[in-house]
Order: sequence, then C-alpha cells, then structure tokens
Amino acid sequence: MVTREDVENIALLSKLFVPEEELDSLTQSMQEIIDFADEINKAPASDEAFDNINNLSNVFREDEVVESFSSEEILKNAPEQAENHFLVRNRE
Amino acid sequence: MGTIAKIHEMLTTKQCSCTELTKSYLDEIEKSNGELNAYVNVTGDEALKTAEKVDKKIASGEEIGLLEGVPMTLKDNLSTKGIETTCCSKILTGYKPIYNATVWDILQSQNAVMLGKTNMDEFAMGSSCETSYFGGATNPFNTKHVSGGSSGGVASAVGANIAAYGLGSDTGGSIRQPASFCGIVGLKPTYGSVSRYGLVAYASSLDQIGPITKSVEDASIVFDAISKYDEKDSTSKEYNGDTYSSLNNDIKGMKIGIAREYLDGVRDDVKEAVLNAAEVYKSLGAEIVYFDLPALKFALPVYYIIACAEASSNLGRYDGIRYGYKTEHYNGTHDMICRTRSEGFGEEVKRRILLGTYVLSAGYYDAYYKKAQNLRGTIVKAFNDAFTHCDVILAPTVPMTAFEMGRAVSDPIETYLTDICTVPVNIAGLPGVSVPCGFNAKGMPIGMQLIGKSFGEAEILNAAYKYQQAAGENFKDTKWGVKL
Repeated sequence: MVTREDVENIALLSKLFVPEEELDSLTQSMQEIIDFADEINKAPASDEAFDNINNLSNVFREDEVVESFSSEEILKNAPEQAENHFLVRNRE
Repeated sequence: MGTIAKIHEMLTTKQCSCTELTKSYLDEIEKSNGELNAYVNVTGDEALKTAEKVDKKIASGEEIGLLEGVPMTLKDNLSTKGIETTCCSKILTGYKPIYNATVWDILQSQNAVMLGKTNMDEFAMGSSCETSYFGGATNPFNTKHVSGGSSGGVASAVGANIAAYGLGSDTGGSIRQPASFCGIVGLKPTYGSVSRYGLVAYASSLDQIGPITKSVEDASIVFDAISKYDEKDSTSKEYNGDTYSSLNNDIKGMKIGIAREYLDGVRDDVKEAVLNAAEVYKSLGAEIVYFDLPALKFALPVYYIIACAEASSNLGRYDGIRYGYKTEHYNGTHDMICRTRSEGFGEEVKRRILLGTYVLSAGYYDAYYKKAQNLRGTIVKAFNDAFTHCDVILAPTVPMTAFEMGRAVSDPIETYLTDICTVPVNIAGLPGVSVPCGFNAKGMPIGMQLIGKSFGEAEILNAAYKYQQAAGENFKDTKWGVKL
C-alpha cells in the first residue's frame, strides 16, 4: 500500500517537489504501478544469481595520468562559474 | 529506396554530388518536419561542410567508403561535440557536450553527413515519443499516429527518407518498437558489442546503441562500422562485428524458434503477419520449432523495476550546478536542486525517478529490486535453454501497430504493455532486430523480431536478410522525403 507519506518521503529522497494538489493523484498512480510491479512476487521463489550480462568482468588499467579535459572545457556548460570553479550560491 | 548502397553508387558514379544530395535531404526536412517533427535540431551548415569534403575526395579520384557522404541522423541522447544534446528534456536545454559519443567519432571519421539530431521521449522514457519536451514525432505512414518510442524521431526520419539511416538507443525496445511502427529495420545489438560512451545514461545495465535503417543490408553495414572495442566503455567487449560477409548465407536447416508466450495478447493482424513470416522461412528451408518460455511472464515488471531503479540513480546528476537548466529563484542549495529538478523534468521522468527510488528504499528493496534481479537471472537462463532448441527466435516486435497520438499519455500502464515483446532482449542482454513483415488493414506497418544468442548479430541479420530477399514487398517507401 503506497501512502501519501510514502510519496512525500520518496520525493524528498529524489529531490523533487510534489505540489500538494498533485499528491493524491500521484499516490494513486504510484499504487497502480506498484500493483503491476507486484506481479513478480507471484513468481516461484528463485535463487538464480544475477550479477552481470554476457560474462563481463571488471576492467583495470594502470593508474597513469592521461590527457583529459581542461577545467575551462568542463566549466563550459555550468550555469554559473567563478574563479575556475562551479558556483553554487545559497540564494538567488 | 535510398539505401546506403544505392547512395554510395550514386556518389561514386557521379550521378549527383554529395552537396546536391545533402541539399535535397535538407530541403525535404524543411518541407516535412513541420508535420513529422522528427528533427529537433537541423545541422545544415555542418552537413554541407562534410559533403563538400566528400565531393573533393571524389573529385580527386580517391576511393570513398560505404558510409562516406551518406546523410544520416543521431538520436538526441548521443553526445555531439559543440552541438546541443538535450535528450528532449527541458533540464538539458542549451547543453553542448565537450566530447563526442564514440559511435559518432567513428562515423564522423568516415565522413558521415549528419543532418541533425532527432526527437525522442524525454531521456528515452516512453514508447510513443510523446514525452518529448518538443512534442512527439509523427508516423510517416499516417501522421495522426505515433512514430513509436523512444527513438521516434530517428524512425520517423528514416521511414520518411529525410535521413538515409540513423542511430538510436534501446533500453526496453526503443530502437525496435519505433522501427516496427514506421516500417523499417531496427537493430538492438548485444550488450557490450557497441560502445555507449557518450550515450546519456537511462538504465545502464540495459541501454544499447544501434542502427535504424531502411534495409537489413544497411543495418548490417552500420552495425559492422560501429561495433568496435572501446576502452572508454568498461562494458565494451573485444568484438568486432562482422555480419556483412554472412548476410546471404543459406539458411536451410536453420532452426527458428517461436515461444508461445510471445504470441499471447498480440493483436490478430500482427500475429498473422508473424506466422506468415514463419511460412516464408519454411519455404526457405528453415525449420520452425515451437517451445515455451514461461519466464517471459515476469519480464515486463522486472524491466520496469530495474530500469526505474537505475534511472533514479543515473538522473541524480541533474542538479543545476554543472550543466543544463537551473531554476531562477531559490532559498538554499537543497531548495535550488529540488526546484531545478521539479521544473526541468517532465511528468514521466519524475514518475520513473520516484518509482526507482521507492523500489530501492529500505523496506522495499528485497521485495522489488532484489526479487527483480533474481528473476533477471531466471530469464537469462530461460533464453540460454531456449537456444539449445533453436538458432534464432522469431516473435512480434510490438503486440500492435502504431496507435493514435495522445493515447499513450492517458494511461502509463497500458503504455508499458506495448513493450512486452521487446524488453526480454534487454533483460538478457541479447541482440534483436525488428524487420517489416506486412501491413494491417489500415496500411500501418507490422514488424517482426528476430532474437539471437549473445553476440549472434550475424545469425539474426542473415535470417533477416534472407527474409527481405523473399518478402521485399513489406519494405515500402512513404510519400515523404527524397526520391532516389
């Protein structure tokens, strides 16, 4: 059972605001999707391990410095920057 | 039909210059994009620059490659250096990547002529292209109908021949489903066979880049070009796709499996078209084997749980600090991030982030995420077992044909059900190709899907190619676009 409080809590964890007037309809819609997801709990118990696809394995490399982007390039898309850093203001 | 081989021949025999060809594609985009809404960004100047380069090469008598000078498009979640890449989301408006996706690096080095970036469901979350911030792309067979999703723009553009081919991404069917709806070919390669560096992440254990093309031969040409090992993607395998040399192999004795579960709940016209294709295969000497795949029953909820869980984590990066949209007025950092995300993401994206956060949160993790991962293992095993009975699996791509615009928006669960035949392939990391196999009474295209073993692209494309040779009437041009 998905409650209004659940949705408020998840929204907080997701860093999303849900307007008060949308809370009820969102709770209902979440409930419907969770009911649908609950189908999987009808599946026979399985301890089939799944850890990766197509036998992929970890990729390692030597810890060597390689050429990368300049901070100027990295900052190009920042909404705000100052003194070669991303700028985060406390209020606007 | 405007295939790659045809364009290559036109360029090398000097029937037209690459500049003329590119201009005619750009003209057709100008004429039709108002109604098709396939492109969200047309990059005409860059396209003509590349075309000029190709013309110079031809004029100097240099040999050109198959993909050289061929006008194409990229889905708007593939990073293009200096060219806006928005994922059709407000939150990424104005974002210009500082690097290229590896697939675009490969194609650009072969002088592919990119006409522009194409429409998609926001962050690839949707099955109709309608969650796009720019509105959905329409279907070239009937513009009152959806193009499909999420790579709807690529499929609409290729179906309408305002691009010769395109690259899309497929997390739960986003290449195959729109290809099926728009009467063209879409290949979702094996997980690990094409580098995903520069693909904006949705669900990383499912995402894969692949070609959307007019013919099976084209899908093979493009796949072979982009399937290269890339150290920048840790899931990339040392595997160089070579499907072209075996395209025309005899398929006599090939075992084509039909899992009964794939036909459950499928519309009659679609089922009939797929079973007709099975008859074509019989006439080509293949053997049809029926079997059961009960694990498929759980594929859809397993997919939505895993995809949303991964999305909720991947989309955490949009915070208004490093790139993209940022809210104007706020009070404190937390407030800034919440406002930015709430204003920047569309409804479906928010819904999936919330669902993903729910299934990963303490108290629900075991019942949903962990259980879904166990079932994922069961589904992988079921496919492995299936491939002991058959070489490839034949199934519908979508249980229906392209539906009318506006329908998907009203009921999320009904929309999720359209993905029922495509998601199993992503869950198991297998390759799947959608191939046109007929039309319904209203003239809308029907697609069938050929599913292969891991890294079995050569086998499914061989089977698909033989089908196209035998049933070419199912591959049709629309009234739109460049006539070649």
